[in-house]
Amino acid sequence: MKRLLGVLGAATMLASSMSMAADYPSKNIEFIVPWSAGGGADNVVRALQPSLEKALGATIVVRNLSGGGGAVGFSRAVASKPDGYTVTIPTNATFTLEGLGNVAFKKDDFDYIARVLVEPYVLAVRKNDAWQDLDSLSSDLKSSGEPLRIGASGVGSSTHIVSLMLGEALGLNIEVIPFDSGSAAVSAAMGGHIDGVVLNPSEVISAINGDRLTSIVTTGEERSSALPDTPTMEESGHDFELSQWRGIAAPKGLDPAIEAKWVEAVKQAVEDPQFQKAAKSMGSDISPLYGDELDQFVERTSKPLIEEAKAIRQ
Amino acid sequence: MGDYVEALGLVFQWHVLLVIGGGTLLGLIMGALPGLTAAMAIALLLPLTFGMPPVMGMGMLLGTLCGAIAGGSVSATLLNIPGTPSSVATTLDAFPMARRGEAGRALGICIVSSFIGGIFSAVVLSLLAPPIADFALRFGPAEYFALSVFGLVIIASVSSKSLIKGLVAGLIGLLIATIGTDPVAGVQRYTFHNLSLLTGVNLLPALIGLFAVSQVLKDVVDYFGPERAEHSKNEMDHASPRWMETLRHWKVLASSSVIGTIVGAIPGAGGSIGSFLSYDQAKKMSKTPEKFGTGHPEGIIASESSNNALVGGALIPMLTLGIPGEAATAVLMGGLMIQGISPGPTLFTDNGSIIYGIFIAFFVANIFMLLIQWFGIQIFVKVLQVPRKLLMALILMFCVIGVYAVDADIFNVYLMLGFGVLGYFLNRYDFGTAPVILGLILGPIAESNIRRALLLSSGDWSVLVTRPISLVFLLVSAAFLFFTLWQNRRQTTSHS
Repeated sequence: MKRLLGVLGAATMLASSMSMAADYPSKNIEFIVPWSAGGGADNVVRALQPSLEKALGATIVVRNLSGGGGAVGFSRAVASKPDGYTVTIPTNATFTLEGLGNVAFKKDDFDYIARVLVEPYVLAVRKNDAWQDLDSLSSDLKSSGEPLRIGASGVGSSTHIVSLMLGEALGLNIEVIPFDSGSAAVSAAMGGHIDGVVLNPSEVISAINGDRLTSIVTTGEERSSALPDTPTMEESGHDFELSQWRGIAAPKGLDPAIEAKWVEAVKQAVEDPQFQKAAKSMGSDISPLYGDELDQFVERTSKPLIEEAKAIRQ
Repeated sequence: MGDYVEALGLVFQWHVLLVIGGGTLLGLIMGALPGLTAAMAIALLLPLTFGMPPVMGMGMLLGTLCGAIAGGSVSATLLNIPGTPSSVATTLDAFPMARRGEAGRALGICIVSSFIGGIFSAVVLSLLAPPIADFALRFGPAEYFALSVFGLVIIASVSSKSLIKGLVAGLIGLLIATIGTDPVAGVQRYTFHNLSLLTGVNLLPALIGLFAVSQVLKDVVDYFGPERAEHSKNEMDHASPRWMETLRHWKVLASSSVIGTIVGAIPGAGGSIGSFLSYDQAKKMSKTPEKFGTGHPEGIIASESSNNALVGGALIPMLTLGIPGEAATAVLMGGLMIQGISPGPTLFTDNGSIIYGIFIAFFVANIFMLLIQWFGIQIFVKVLQVPRKLLMALILMFCVIGVYAVDADIFNVYLMLGFGVLGYFLNRYDFGTAPVILGLILGPIAESNIRRALLLSSGDWSVLVTRPISLVFLLVSAAFLFFTLWQNRRQTTSHS
């Protein structure tokens, strides 16, 4: 009897999981944004929301769980059921949090559904006639022997880590000053209190367009569409490529059929002109990636970030 | 000029005006509910603006922001519960006045002061934004540290009953502010592996706990106590804007509006301290400083004109530099960017009519704020006729909902309740809760900036005195401290 019940139970579970994928989505989907409303990640999710809702045929509820610099939201996402009704927005912070050792989750606790936007990191410095481009900056710093004091958006943030990595790659003496936010670092650089910042284009684009900061180099695979005149590290002869990204992930164990529905929805959403306009004004490049290619990207990006973050912790 | 004409056309359409008015009304309601902040109100309405033209959308959000700040003082006045952090200083005098049975007068002064502060900052925003933004950029780590020291000196001024007790309360705030990840080294302090504490104690649960929950506890104790205070006051004075009474204190109005606008324009200066600074300064200029804290109109005027001037001030770095100073303007900026407009210096050249439209919409929002409050004041004071036992239960409910909604984190609710108990005892033994809030707001700013300043100077402390702005703030702080001590001493000797 017990065994029969067990079999029946298993059968119903299987059936229900099959039907779950078939009639997915049948209720509201919770999109956990691990940062507060109005932040970069939040803007992306809210700009994607209308077209994703249309493509999926369900209502998406955005929940901002902003504690612990992303730690609370990601932890909550990992702990929820992988039924496709809870998703979150992975970024490089997902990896640096792991490296800093403040959280219980690992990068492999997520099923990555899509990469939607990428933004390189950009090294931008305050106005100084001797600092026009990478060559003049390095030769000036080498002759003066002064360190380059770079503001990052927070201690242990990916900008902090990338600043250190850039210093190594370029052979420059970079001193990182962590600020409370990217905009605080930008305003310190504009005021000449620090030499520059390593941030994402969206955070420095107004300062660069307003001729208060000079962009030196970006770290992307290709030039950022927000900063078309700034060369990449690769173009400048350095083997270095690392981008900030924003995508969609679910807790590990997502049904492949549901994942496929999401991939379809994202493919439609990124074609939406309203979203494209928003992405452009946010300084991000739409660069969708799915499946195996995405997994390779995650592997390649997370490895150095986790290692460097561990080193900061020492 | 052509841009201005075009901008007028963008704003003065009936549906745009309607939306701005609606935003202001919603902001007022949300601001008046404890636990819902201006930033949250804007974030809630943000998705509605996606389909609107930029000026209309921004107009609605600006209305919401103005309304929320003004609404925060309604609950501060009537219930001793600041709806937003920037109305904490309002509670100091408006609530005692309302308790005397002059709720209508207190609100009347609030309304007029808010309007004048808001309009003043709107004028400054439209005429002087670029130079003020340039001045704000001169604030580096050393200057922020000196500014926060200047803010901490105010603790001496807002601790009405006993200076020592006020300082103890301020230190409690500073101590609590050390919880969380170290801002420079990244080490965890007193977090006990609780993820919710990684970024420190959230200000909102602390604020709501210290003011709202502690007030509820006090009322519960009073209710069961010997006096059985069912209603705070049954008689009600005439509720209407008090133009003449407010304008008579034009000096306080002017200086507080200036302070509010400038502090608002310095990004990350902890905006809400603007109203404290104005309060403190009004008290120092006043001929009757001893009346502050007992329901004195000058105290209300200082705090209220300043906290609404803060709004226009905060828009200055956001629009001219693309740097949001605090949470509410950060959400506003997000709204602009989703519209496809990136704030910053280029906004003035590329989108002239839009930026002027935003200026005009901000004026209009302030006028709506005045009109809605003018009619609303009669309804607001009715709150006091609700039996206190029902009212307190309702307030507690809103507090729990609001605080939970910040991060959707139940831990914040526990934190709020803990702060409520702390606040109850602090008030009962005359330590006061305003100094705790000052410590909580200023502690992290002071700490992270002194450490950044020393990182930049390679450990040389002289940066604090060799940089002019920093030196001025430190000298003025020292002068104010001695002045307050002297004033305090004179008062105690004259009393005895």
